[in-house]
Amino acid sequence: MSSIGTGYDLSASQFSPDGRVFQVEYAQKAVENSGTVVAIRGKDGIVFGVEKLVMSKLYEKGSNKRIFHIDRHIGMAVAGLLADARQIADIAREEAANYRSDFGGPIPSAVLADRVSMYMHAYTLYSFVRPFGCSVVLSSYDEDGPHMHVIEPSGVAYGYYGCAIGKGKQAAKTEIEKIKMKEMSMHELVNEVARIVYTIHDEVKDKAFELELSWVGKGTEGLHQFIPAEVQEEAEKLAKKSLEDSDSDEDM
Amino acid sequence: MSVGNSAGFDRHITIFSPEGRLYQVEYAFNACKQAGLTSVAVRGKDSAVVVIQKKVPDKLLDPSTVTNLFYITANIGCVMTGMSADSRYQVKRARSEAAFWKYRYGHEIPVDVLCRRIADISQVYTQSAGMRPLGCIMTLIGYDDKMGPMVFKTDPAGYFCGFRAVACGAKHLEGGNFLEKCFKKKKDYTFNETIELAIHCLSCILSADLRANELEVGIVTQENPKFRTLTEAEIDNHLASLAERD
Repeated sequence: MSSIGTGYDLSASQFSPDGRVFQVEYAQKAVENSGTVVAIRGKDGIVFGVEKLVMSKLYEKGSNKRIFHIDRHIGMAVAGLLADARQIADIAREEAANYRSDFGGPIPSAVLADRVSMYMHAYTLYSFVRPFGCSVVLSSYDEDGPHMHVIEPSGVAYGYYGCAIGKGKQAAKTEIEKIKMKEMSMHELVNEVARIVYTIHDEVKDKAFELELSWVGKGTEGLHQFIPAEVQEEAEKLAKKSLEDSDSDEDM
Repeated sequence: MSVGNSAGFDRHITIFSPEGRLYQVEYAFNACKQAGLTSVAVRGKDSAVVVIQKKVPDKLLDPSTVTNLFYITANIGCVMTGMSADSRYQVKRARSEAAFWKYRYGHEIPVDVLCRRIADISQVYTQSAGMRPLGCIMTLIGYDDKMGPMVFKTDPAGYFCGFRAVACGAKHLEGGNFLEKCFKKKKDYTFNETIELAIHCLSCILSADLRANELEVGIVTQENPKFRTLTEAEIDNHLASLAERD
């Protein structure tokens, strides 16, 4: 099935003859060109892992982060155009702040996911704007447990137990479906997420990458934090080791 | 039929083609079928029911967040058939309109008035160049204390109508034919018969034996006019009595 929309893909306010909005589909393609984001919801927490592709040797470690803090208790990982994603982060932070001011408490992530998805959807309706070229994953932990939502450029938002967006999403999804995430603790998840990102990283096409890890859950008392350096080092060591092991298996 | 001269934009924005058609609106109808889901709504003697398939395409999805049934007010519910994000937008707008009516006039908005309001809003999108119609169909159900149970449907063209029974989505033609045949034979359906008719219609047009976790059912009745969705156990009971009947 050809997905070239010639003539019907000029603006988000056009339907194609078979009822598709091509601008939104092209925005989703922009997401697929970016480094992978792997997110897993375990028993009592959620871990994000972002494969941040490094384009230049002069790159300074830790810059251009793709994981954002929204308020204190919500984390947002993004795939796609980083500039668009920064706009979404700003809007999410504004919504969270307004909620605090209106209702006196932290915004539940389902409510935030709803508001952000409506905002992103609004940009798919008019001809004078273009859809956002990024997908975002929101995570939080409260008395009801961990919550994770993924919002696509079309404005569609669903809750997930595990998700992968970006270049290696198919390979990552296969890996995620293998693990029994609902019983895993946050530390176990960190190692799994690091392992999956290292496994799906394509050494040939993309040379260097930096692994960004963050978590939110019971262990962090509901606060979203970047993973402490020692935990990250340990996870990356284990991930590299498991990659070598599987490579040597293949050689045999 | 004369081939009129158009600048070629009639397929791109909502202006008339030389034959008097609005192509963008017609394409919006195709968008409603894109998701591949079909919904059925039936009005019985003292109850109204909406039924839609529940498809959870990804194993990693949290099924509790996947739904096409929404409440608009406590007494009015709807099933949305079509593009997910457009559906949520229209539901939000409907909730806002219903709340405003309550604030302004002091009583709950009737189902037909709400449907007319949403249809009027949808019509504006078919007359603006900068916007596209929404790719979703909204079927509202409610129990009115004067008029009884009501089923109203509005579509991307801004057309709305009350129905005794209606099918929307990918298989709306087959659904419509099936419902017409049933209503020829019998016009009054009790609460249980209404639900079973809706579920039976859906399984026939999809040619599949549906299970309780593949269906979503929303109801309003005379005894309990508040919109609510059936639990899996309740759906199972209805499926069982449907199987016994056959």
